[in-house]
Amino acid sequence: MNTIFLMNSLWVMVAAVLVILMIGGFILLETGSTRMKNAGHIAGKTILTFGIGSLVFWAVGYGLIFGKGNPFIGFSQFFYSGYDIDGLPLSGSVFFLFQLAFAGISLTIAFGGFAERAKLSTYLIFAILFSVIVYPPIAHWIWGGGWLAEHGKQDFAGSTVVHLTGAMAALAATILLKPRIGKFNKDGSANNLAGHNQVFTALSVLLLWVGWFGFNAGSTLSVDKAFFGFVAINTNLAAAAGTVAAMIISWMVLGKADVPMMLNGALAGLVAITASCAFVDTWAAVLIGFIAGILVFYSIRFFEKRKIDDPITALSVHGTAGVWGTLSTGLFATNELATVGKPGLFYGGGFHQLGVQALGVITCAAFAFIVSYILLSVMKKAMNGLRVTEEEEIIGLDMSEHGSYGYPELVKAEQKLKAQ
Amino acid sequence: MKMVFRDHFKLNDLHDEIIKKVLEIAMIQVSTHYGSLPSPFSFFVMGSAGRQEQSVWSDQDHGIIYLNQGDELKSYFLALGKEISKGLYHAGYPYCDGGVMASNPYWCKSITEWQQQITKWMLESSWETIRYLLIFLDGRSVYGESEYVERLKNHIYQTANKEHLITKSLSNTLYFKKGINMLGKLLVETHGQHSGSLNIKEVGLFPYVNAVRLLSIKERKQETSTLLRLEKLSETWFPADGKEFYQQQFLKLLNYRLWFGDQTDYDSGHYLAINRLTKEQTKEVKDIIKNGTALFNNVRRLLEKEGSYGDE
Repeated sequence: MNTIFLMNSLWVMVAAVLVILMIGGFILLETGSTRMKNAGHIAGKTILTFGIGSLVFWAVGYGLIFGKGNPFIGFSQFFYSGYDIDGLPLSGSVFFLFQLAFAGISLTIAFGGFAERAKLSTYLIFAILFSVIVYPPIAHWIWGGGWLAEHGKQDFAGSTVVHLTGAMAALAATILLKPRIGKFNKDGSANNLAGHNQVFTALSVLLLWVGWFGFNAGSTLSVDKAFFGFVAINTNLAAAAGTVAAMIISWMVLGKADVPMMLNGALAGLVAITASCAFVDTWAAVLIGFIAGILVFYSIRFFEKRKIDDPITALSVHGTAGVWGTLSTGLFATNELATVGKPGLFYGGGFHQLGVQALGVITCAAFAFIVSYILLSVMKKAMNGLRVTEEEEIIGLDMSEHGSYGYPELVKAEQKLKAQ
Repeated sequence: MKMVFRDHFKLNDLHDEIIKKVLEIAMIQVSTHYGSLPSPFSFFVMGSAGRQEQSVWSDQDHGIIYLNQGDELKSYFLALGKEISKGLYHAGYPYCDGGVMASNPYWCKSITEWQQQITKWMLESSWETIRYLLIFLDGRSVYGESEYVERLKNHIYQTANKEHLITKSLSNTLYFKKGINMLGKLLVETHGQHSGSLNIKEVGLFPYVNAVRLLSIKERKQETSTLLRLEKLSETWFPADGKEFYQQQFLKLLNYRLWFGDQTDYDSGHYLAINRLTKEQTKEVKDIIKNGTALFNNVRRLLEKEGSYGDE
């Protein structure tokens, strides 16, 4: 076995571990951005659905994405058993684990739209359906040699595949579930159901930020020329610019440097650079992240105005920034770096690549949204609703779905006060 | 009655009338239980009532100063304070969250005890006690011996310089809610039942009230209403536009609150429904807020400059 093969495997193994740790980031992000009475439930179900997603990926997900098939779906290599894969410069099992982690992240993002009101059974069933029917086709189209890959679509680490797909499922879910109790007033104005712990949210961003080095830099799948270093720099710069941009815009418009908004800016920068991190220069990475930080601010306000309740702002952070990130390579991909597809508009490539990117965004978003919407509608009928009862929602999903609170003393003390 | 709700001055006179009526009823109640008045006293109001800047709804802020001393007097006037609070509550004035009411021993004392308490507040001069002093300086006697409040204010002014009252008061009132963002737009509430409305109390009125109160302390005035305080202050503080200009601006703002505020209850009364204003009115509100902020910053600069020369 040659050294490069081993080094590639080792590097991607480290990256896979980093990406799986991002699940921890999402636990903190989602619990921090929501209320105390749902904290235990949210933390627990995130681990649980990653478990389900892993099993499904092993059984069929991997085969549907990377198996031999047609431009629309793969169809072999089910129940992967750890063998090496022809033509891969690294161990097959490491590659498998890395891809499994990505599928898990996309699923976790989708569940952001379910927060604080979906039944546990909704999570369990949709975890299976999403992992078989929603994620694999899109991943196959772009990464598994499907029709968008042939088309030259640039999505280095998955702004579209992972983030936009997850966000579209979240959108379908949040529309079908309807807003949480108390989110909107009768006159249409929104209330701020503030998250219970900004420290969790900030730590989640740090965890995700570091995890993203696995996500993006690991997507090189090799140590060749240590290119992963360059990808990591772009990733870091975009996150930094997104943070600063969101803080500036919230300061300018709201008069305050809003902490949750600043954190959303960091994540938006990371999501946006995910597609383009290997194709653009460092200055473009800064610009892409900066614009993502501003977009996320207006996107959050846009959804709230339309009375779409997005508890952890998954639609804006992963959806809007995902779209922008995917389109950005159509503008900024350079001649030397565009190893897939063509250079962007600003590098003499004309509108070609931008068109390819736009087509990819539209078809993938539409597919993820429509299929998720149909699946969840059928579930809604079959399961007699996706949502817990009003009473259960008020006492909190910790109690209604699991029988104990994540913060037993605090929640009980609070309820006692209210009853008085 | 409807006319009263359109006229700031008539409305505040009406509030005074109601308060006096409640007080008279309370005095009868207390005298049937505890006998006749044991001492001359003053019943005074503070906060927006003290400044005669109440809107349709207002909460309670009041205290009692009585002349003689003794435990029996204490329980007599506390009973009176309790009766007044209860009466005002039934008349539609919510209780004060901070307990600034004559039913609280802290705000119901003999004049000697009041003097001791004020000295203690001055010496301690923590954020909290400075805040009490500022509340007290907005005090206005509505019944009884108005001279007691004046005496106590003079007591504060006697040691004001030594205790650096101005500097401390300044840092106590520096924070207020921003009303206009960098793009020049009004910062309305973005969430909750008052979405789209402007918190006119914190954003608009406070800068004027606080700036003018500071100057009034500086010049040791007895007046409490912002308009009257401006009347009495020397012109030197207002070089550019003159104090009359600020009086007009402040009165306009009070009227906007009265005419366009949400008058459903006390809390809502602080919110101005911007969408009910015309374009010109919105611009005027914006200008008034800008002028208030500029006034406050100017006063702050002047006072800080003086402070740094050590005249305090």
